[in-house]
Amino acid sequence: MNNYHGIIFAYKSYPELRELVAERTAASLPICSRYRLIDFSLSSLRNAGIVDVGVIMQRDYQSLLDHLGSGKPWDMSRRTGGLRMLPPFGLPAHHRGDYSGTIEALNAVSSYIEEIPKKYIVLMIGNLCANINLREVCRVHEASDAEITAVCANYEPDVLHNRYVVGEDGYVMQVLFDRTGPSQGSMPALECYIINKDTLLRMMDRCRALDKYRFHQDAITMFLREGGKMGTYIHRTYARVIKDVDGYYAANMDLLNPVNRNSLFPASRPVRTKLESGVSTYYGTEAVSKNSLVADNCIIEGSLENCIVFTGVHVGKGAVLKNCIIMKDGVVGNDTHLDYVIADKDVTFSSNLAITGTQRLPIVVPKGSEV
Amino acid sequence: MSKTCIAMLLAGGQGSRLYALTQDVAKPGVPFGGKYRIIDFPLSNCTNSGIDTVGVLTQYRPLQLNSYIGSGQPWDLDVDDGGVYILPPYQTAGEKGSWFTGTANAIYQNISFIENFDPENVLILSGDHIYKMDYAEMLREHLAHNAALTISVQQVSMEEATRLGIMSTGADGYISEFEEKPAHPKSDLASMGIYIFNWKKLREYLIADENDPNSSKDFGKNIIPAMLAAGEKLWPYRFAGYWRDVGTITSLWDANMDTLSTTLINLYDPSWPIYSRSPVCPPHYTGEGSSVVHSIISEGCEIYGHVENSVLSPSVKVGKGASVLYSVLMPGAVVEDGAVVKYAIIGERTVVHSRAHVGEEPDGSETWGVATCGPDIEIKEGAAVPAGAMVYTGEEV
Repeated sequence: MNNYHGIIFAYKSYPELRELVAERTAASLPICSRYRLIDFSLSSLRNAGIVDVGVIMQRDYQSLLDHLGSGKPWDMSRRTGGLRMLPPFGLPAHHRGDYSGTIEALNAVSSYIEEIPKKYIVLMIGNLCANINLREVCRVHEASDAEITAVCANYEPDVLHNRYVVGEDGYVMQVLFDRTGPSQGSMPALECYIINKDTLLRMMDRCRALDKYRFHQDAITMFLREGGKMGTYIHRTYARVIKDVDGYYAANMDLLNPVNRNSLFPASRPVRTKLESGVSTYYGTEAVSKNSLVADNCIIEGSLENCIVFTGVHVGKGAVLKNCIIMKDGVVGNDTHLDYVIADKDVTFSSNLAITGTQRLPIVVPKGSEV
Repeated sequence: MSKTCIAMLLAGGQGSRLYALTQDVAKPGVPFGGKYRIIDFPLSNCTNSGIDTVGVLTQYRPLQLNSYIGSGQPWDLDVDDGGVYILPPYQTAGEKGSWFTGTANAIYQNISFIENFDPENVLILSGDHIYKMDYAEMLREHLAHNAALTISVQQVSMEEATRLGIMSTGADGYISEFEEKPAHPKSDLASMGIYIFNWKKLREYLIADENDPNSSKDFGKNIIPAMLAAGEKLWPYRFAGYWRDVGTITSLWDANMDTLSTTLINLYDPSWPIYSRSPVCPPHYTGEGSSVVHSIISEGCEIYGHVENSVLSPSVKVGKGASVLYSVLMPGAVVEDGAVVKYAIIGERTVVHSRAHVGEEPDGSETWGVATCGPDIEIKEGAAVPAGAMVYTGEEV
């Protein structure tokens, strides 16, 4: 896929992710026992042979930088091209606020975009939990005469999202903004696009002139109004865009279902992530583990049910965890009971505690806390 | 640039006493303890001990081992002025090249490789031992005692001593005598097959040994006795930690079972990590009806049945109603619904089809043993593999 370059938008934090994004952006949220959310977009690109990728970041990117490293796990540590981190460098000095839209984020790194020596650009968000067959999307894009191909889902998201109305000729007629539920004759966008580089540069230029920077409301709307051709590709397996704690919790729990897991982790398109050192997980003589996903390097001496457990976690004897997400290096003391708890990295629960949240409102324990 | 110490790892042995498990892979490449292969232990010990140059001598079935080691990156051995080198036997102009004919000959044939690094000392390791050792500590003793050779030794029982290479020491603490498998051992210090040689001395003895037509070109049989006879200083480095030779089915199974107890060998100790090349797998999943007791489970596993006192490598599947007891399941092994695996070693990607039985509990009889299936075997539905059986790849069961 020599004609393609990837761009991942990893600058957004989403306030509805609450404590989980206190020190990171949504793209570096730990998910499914051993991954970071951005692994899915990076792996989708890598598995399509697209290894020249720019990651746009703005602030709180320490955890993201640490995770991405040289890009080696995704084969993106290259002599030429490869993975590039893109903090803002094209903005005026007085610019302090968040990017007002995707196009502004692109304009902030416009010199990078202009110098991309490729014909097509794949735009993705860092908070998409899906394994997209981009090789197939690229094939569809090249076979059509569309300047943009939008990847859509065949599921109905419960968070704010944009939708596309497709006409009889197969091209997008209209964008519906900020919808929350299904709507007849339209498809939800996964915010993944293949776009001709010239088209993108033209859009960025127009938006800059008008000082309007939203991708869908401004750029795409103008593009369609002027008769631009935009095709669609329907991603038919698991997908979820994560923007709030509910969605984050639900995505993790979705993966306890083997159908979702198999569609997110097909053997032919593995999801790659930063290497952790290798020891396996030990289950003690009194351990119980039902319907749970557990990473390597854990010691489980208590009981787990419907849990997502990250690497390096220690669950003490007599501890009972139900419906919990315990991130890296968490420690749960003996006989402590946790239900509907999301514990961020390095959280220690002492012995004999009982903490209970609800499915609607899981309790989020911030990074490094001692409870 | 001169180095204080480089390591040479003898990984060429077939490991014929592992039978079906080493049909297609050399012994150091055999999976161990869940996420590891045997060779991860010496390689990780090197990197943890600050030895950044390792020559790996391969000969038998090197393909898997070569691709496993690769650039050495998982062990941090992908460094600029050293790193890990795969050293197969090779041909040279004008002479006829040859296979490595013994442990000493393997090093002899790589003298020019070693000279590249101009080392003061050379550490000789074997690729079939499970242990965690700080070679830097051993090197310190070697230098402090101005030894030509330091041999790492472990105290064993007098009964075991009759099966091992035994060192006796003199009043000054140096080794005074070396006996291979003595009927009446004079000491209980057994050689662990880990040596640090002063390189100049070793080079001398390797060349002399190579020119001796009666020599079997072996460190234990030839080089060490020759050095002793010449009055060189040989120092014993006493090592009290966990150390196992895993050259047989029983010892391999035993050592795997040992990993279930952190008091024997603690793989969770962050101060001495054992590294491995990790496959890309999702986390392991334990299903609704599963039970996992006193066992090691690796990423990519899916457990729907009962697992007890067992060691599971990555991507192992255990079906509903299946039961795995006191067993070692290598990467990608599958135990289908209702199958039973007891006291067994199941090779990579081997499938135990539903309701099949592999292995039996110990019954105290002479013939009992761990049942072993090599890699890529299909054990047919309802079939039975008895205790002590050895199933080779390609066999129909």
